[in-house]
Amino acid sequence: MTTSLLVPLHVAYIRALGNSQDELSYHLSAHLRMNAVYWGLTALCIMDHKDALDRDEMVDFVMSCWDEEAGAFGAHTDHDAHLLSTLSAIQILLMQDALDRVDVDRVVKFILSLQQPSGIFAGDAFGETDTRFLYCAVSALSLLGRLHELDVEKIVAYIRHCRNFDGGFGAIAGAESHAAQVFVCVAALAILDRLEEIDQPTLCWWLSERQLPNGGLNGRPEKLEDVCYSFWVLSALSILGKLTWIDASKLEAFILSAQETESGGIADRPGDVPDVFHTLFGIAGLSLLGYPGLMDLDPVYCMPASIVENVGLRKGWKALQRRTS
Amino acid sequence: MHNVKRTRQSPEALAETKLREKSKIDEYLTLTDDVLSRKKPDWSKDAFQLTQSLLQINPEFYTVWNYRRNILLNGIFPQSTPEEINNLLSNELSMTTAALKAHPKVYWIWNHRSWCLENVPDGPERNGTPSIEWRQANWDKELFVVERMLDADARNFHAWNYRRYVLANMPTRRNETSELTYTSRKIGANFSNFSAWHQRSKSLVVLWESGQLDPVQSKDEEFELVSNALYTDPDDQSAWIYHRWLIGSGENKEQLEREIQVITELLQEQPDSKWSMESLVHYKRLLLQHHSPDSKALKRECVELLSRLMDLDPIRYFRYRDLTRDLDY
Repeated sequence: MTTSLLVPLHVAYIRALGNSQDELSYHLSAHLRMNAVYWGLTALCIMDHKDALDRDEMVDFVMSCWDEEAGAFGAHTDHDAHLLSTLSAIQILLMQDALDRVDVDRVVKFILSLQQPSGIFAGDAFGETDTRFLYCAVSALSLLGRLHELDVEKIVAYIRHCRNFDGGFGAIAGAESHAAQVFVCVAALAILDRLEEIDQPTLCWWLSERQLPNGGLNGRPEKLEDVCYSFWVLSALSILGKLTWIDASKLEAFILSAQETESGGIADRPGDVPDVFHTLFGIAGLSLLGYPGLMDLDPVYCMPASIVENVGLRKGWKALQRRTS
Repeated sequence: MHNVKRTRQSPEALAETKLREKSKIDEYLTLTDDVLSRKKPDWSKDAFQLTQSLLQINPEFYTVWNYRRNILLNGIFPQSTPEEINNLLSNELSMTTAALKAHPKVYWIWNHRSWCLENVPDGPERNGTPSIEWRQANWDKELFVVERMLDADARNFHAWNYRRYVLANMPTRRNETSELTYTSRKIGANFSNFSAWHQRSKSLVVLWESGQLDPVQSKDEEFELVSNALYTDPDDQSAWIYHRWLIGSGENKEQLEREIQVITELLQEQPDSKWSMESLVHYKRLLLQHHSPDSKALKRECVELLSRLMDLDPIRYFRYRDLTRDLDY
């Protein structure tokens, strides 16, 4: 059983991801490339190895994904613009201090054009709606310093409409509560300074009940544990100041047990194939739990806390105190 | 990646896999380059066919779904009769039914289906009067498809969300009572299906608010249903969470006391039932809050239960401790 975070191995794993063109899965996941770069870079920053990936090459890649027709970013060169990849692009450029490369006015116009009459956002012009896209819009506009252009009341009204009796939120109004959708709604409300919309005692109860006896967290009642919920559940608990309501050391042990110990990376659960998505969300969870040696992660933006502080956007979340050993 | 077990391969086997993958990669990249280079402004049927080949290999390629819809909108629909458009969209729905079976959690496939449904023409004219035959047939069929998807995985939230979308948008809306019946069936098959309990809570609110069901009588029936589930498996969260919804803010004192009694009896039978204790604490706190703010006895009972919970369920120790402090006993 691995009891410590294998930092050099995970750094090597993330570096190697860009060189796996000889694997079919690399090409089949091109539609996630922009997100994957964001996941990898954020994980590296939290492990304090930001320079493990070449900055200029990364910024050039992001700019190569600009969709001139739509005025936003696609997931890969020649892919269509989408809110999911646009938020990741903005986050990467901010972390790499290269936001000056973006035509901010056009991106803002793209984002605002996707708000629907009900208040929710579509992901692109074809209209799929989801509270994930609402979060992407709020987070991106906030990072670009353009939150004031948003119809906040309309957004808040929609989120309120998504709130279920268990205190949680789903993907759309009427949908079952799901921990990842709880993160997007709670974090969006945090950015909008509207946390009073949340039934906090009920939601924090529901979130604390995501922890299973093996220490891992699930995303809905009676489902299996998965490392990514370490971030979705913990971020919401830390924004609401209730991180102590789960057992940190058991969760930490669960995340560490999902590490791949030969070539690095973290999987959804022990024994499975690792990927960069679970690698970030495992490390993000560990950072919020005060794991020694890691940098602070901002749970609202899922970015290094120092970057968010530099742009003056830090909200009132609370992580566990960083341990020294 | 979810639920993919790690396997160990020898270096030789690994090299062999990579060699085999190489031709697949070359083929895939050639097709991708072809499709993406045609994207604007080739709206031909050839291009349409190519998007299909590509999406069959990779249904996550959202840009190609977009391109496919643009070909339909800009190239094919303008030259088609309404009947042909209906056939094309029915084909799209059949194609994505097959894709969904293999990839039940791919957002883009579900999304493409809703786009198709929304673009199905109403129907042919019958004796000079317009009909909604095509629309009706496709939406009705959709409900059948989504039920099959929920048969395969009763917790698939994509399928539940899509089900609610179909029910809300079909040309002839179904009576809400039939949705309540559907959730009874799903819950009957598995008490642990919280997705179905959730759906039931939404359905009941509609039926109560529209006056189709008497809230008082219906709630009593729900309490009976959920009690059966609680007794069947007192460790399963789903029914307990639903029970908490039924109690709500606990304004009905008689009901609250009756349910406290039911759970107290369950706890006597199952003395280590965490959820019985946890629920008793919650309901007794509601009694304190709304009906007996000064009851020392209730406070003491809560504190005792919380103290047992701290031992029994130590991973949530600090939550129980915070609740104890709030009681100010």
